[in-house]
Amino acid sequence: MIKAIEAIKAIPNPQKYRYAVIMASCTLFFSPFLFLPGLVDNPDLCGKVCIRRFYLFFPGMSPADVSGKMQVAAIGVYILSLILITTFFFGRMWCGYICPVGGLPELVSRTFSDKWKIEYRALPQVPIRYGYFSVYLALMPMLGISACTLCNFITIPRIFDAFSGNPKGLAFALSAVGLVNLALLFLLGFFATKGRAYCQFLCPVGALDGLVNRLGAKLRFTRRIRVERNRCTGCNICARNCMTGSIKMVDRIAVVDQLSCMSCHECVDVCDWGAIDWRAAPLDEDPKRKKKGVDFHPQPQWQAVYVSPPLSKNK
Amino acid sequence: MPLKHFLFVIVLFISFIQTVNAAQRHPDPDGCFSCHALEGLDYIDKNGVLRSASIDKQHYYSALHGSVPCKDCHRRIREYPHKVENGEVDCANSCHVEEPSEGEPYTHKAVVKEYKDSVHGNGWYKGLTGGNRFREAKEAPVASCRFCHGNELYIREAELPKFKEAFDHLDSECGSCHQGEIWLGQFGGHILRRFIGSRWNKNDHNKMCNGCHADHERMAKVEQKNEKTGKKEKTGPRFILASDSYATTLHGRLLETNVMQGASCIDCHAPKGFRHGVLRDEKSDASTHTDNLAETCAQSDCHAYATHPLNHRFVKTDLHDIDMIPVNNSIVPRDQSRLESGWVKALIALSPIIVILGGGSLLWWLFGGKKKSVTFSILGGDAFQEKMIGRKPKSKVKKKVHQKKKPTATLTRKEAEDE
Repeated sequence: MIKAIEAIKAIPNPQKYRYAVIMASCTLFFSPFLFLPGLVDNPDLCGKVCIRRFYLFFPGMSPADVSGKMQVAAIGVYILSLILITTFFFGRMWCGYICPVGGLPELVSRTFSDKWKIEYRALPQVPIRYGYFSVYLALMPMLGISACTLCNFITIPRIFDAFSGNPKGLAFALSAVGLVNLALLFLLGFFATKGRAYCQFLCPVGALDGLVNRLGAKLRFTRRIRVERNRCTGCNICARNCMTGSIKMVDRIAVVDQLSCMSCHECVDVCDWGAIDWRAAPLDEDPKRKKKGVDFHPQPQWQAVYVSPPLSKNK
Repeated sequence: MPLKHFLFVIVLFISFIQTVNAAQRHPDPDGCFSCHALEGLDYIDKNGVLRSASIDKQHYYSALHGSVPCKDCHRRIREYPHKVENGEVDCANSCHVEEPSEGEPYTHKAVVKEYKDSVHGNGWYKGLTGGNRFREAKEAPVASCRFCHGNELYIREAELPKFKEAFDHLDSECGSCHQGEIWLGQFGGHILRRFIGSRWNKNDHNKMCNGCHADHERMAKVEQKNEKTGKKEKTGPRFILASDSYATTLHGRLLETNVMQGASCIDCHAPKGFRHGVLRDEKSDASTHTDNLAETCAQSDCHAYATHPLNHRFVKTDLHDIDMIPVNNSIVPRDQSRLESGWVKALIALSPIIVILGGGSLLWWLFGGKKKSVTFSILGGDAFQEKMIGRKPKSKVKKKVHQKKKPTATLTRKEAEDE
């Protein structure tokens, strides 16, 4: 018990607020309160508030078909566009701070020992995520598998349903599809380091959001988690704490992958040197230090950082 | 009496006559109401059930067939008192209204034929109406006309103002071409009602189907003819739980939240004709037959692309997927076929990993002490160290303690600074 209290005390304050927001959004989105879906008379996160259905694509679809789908899911379209717009300017706020489906496994996972978790963060995220995304969008529906069957987004709301006495929740948890999704929740959520493996690899909303995040990161006025390179000591504490595995140490300097970064600020909280921060434009235009014989700021192909000015002065 | 007053009385009298005529719109030329309008006209039938033969006049007049004389339908009744069996109605009979374009009496024959050819056709009662209502409601494996078509209000109460408004324009709008009181009187209302919109929406259709199909015990009794052997066989869980599996699909969920873009039962199972011809999937005419599915899906705006050749497997999407409903359903407990699903196999493969990780976490939490935990290398801990942190994992470093340090290709930061 004391151990648990100490563990909670050790959490940096900003992260405590983030956890609180995720818990609050769980109560707002899920049973038994269902406050936000209830505003549009929806009994769960399916049906007209589904934010991921309308972008399924089939060959031969006319623009009218696409707009027809969007009309059915109009509320979902509004929510998703709102998410993408915030992402463009401020980073992936929805994913990191609000999304209860990604947030709950993260919170649960953090209570378990790291030793008995699967480390997914070193896996190549881009091929897996966008490979699955394209399969989810086009191939599976074309092959006759309903996108709703594939949707594992609903598992967590259904668990809440089950615990709040809604027969629908229990029915889903006992169905064959529900049981497998529950197992996946354990493997990709509770027993994944930092609990965000589902967000990293399978979430289609996250995949779209990541693209927008990376696109916005190219502009200098948008706010993102950025590294001030001449301050980075290469201690790699940020990379070890990053829940989405978006920080990679390249030549002992942290490089942020803006496809996966959720701007959760955990790296900001743990960095003793103030080298990594959620900021609009990079400050290190004129590095004081440099390395000989090595490419000082290598840009890995699959990772995006801001466009840095040429280092002419130092060369 | 001055002329003015006399005229006023005349006008009053005429208006009175007119109101009387309006009431006469519901005639009783056969005198059925002389008995059936009596309250407490009860009798005990063969099964010993007390049944009421009283008819509430007001209720009947406001109903769909309220303006039709009784004997137009109950044709076999010739003498009084009549036998109960003679009260039965054949809906395929010619009707009271004459179709103006053909000059022939209207008939439900075409609808009845479509229905008789459907899965619900050959069953309960040959004449399709009649028999004991209670027995039908409880036992009938297939429904008669009457089962779904109650004698309900011709126009829904909510739609009445709309109908009245339209009816006021009937003379000027429709009457410019369709002249003659017969047409306006007999068909104007019929057609206007249809313009206002169908009486039932998709949710009402589903409610009607679910009246029987959501009743698992009832559906478990249904027997279907096996096309190959020609014998009647019990149906499987797919049929019995069809209503539940539909409810898990997007179609069902949309209608549940009153978004009418979802497809109702008959949107797929009887999309054409009089929408009574539900056929089994195996029948080549069936809208749900594999060859016709693309066309059936494509009738909606949502799936207009379904006929595209690249999407030929889209129509294979299982809309009655029993994997989505509880495995241990009490209605089909002994059916092992449900456990052969690919999802269950996936679960069997996944669950040992969860047990190991869960058990390990628990043991570590209890006995692990304060030692800082690092993810096992087999679970990806080393890969993370190597790829993301860029350091050799501790497990590998320890082994190489006694070996000579090889010169590295890249310089470390400290060395770079020193130079």
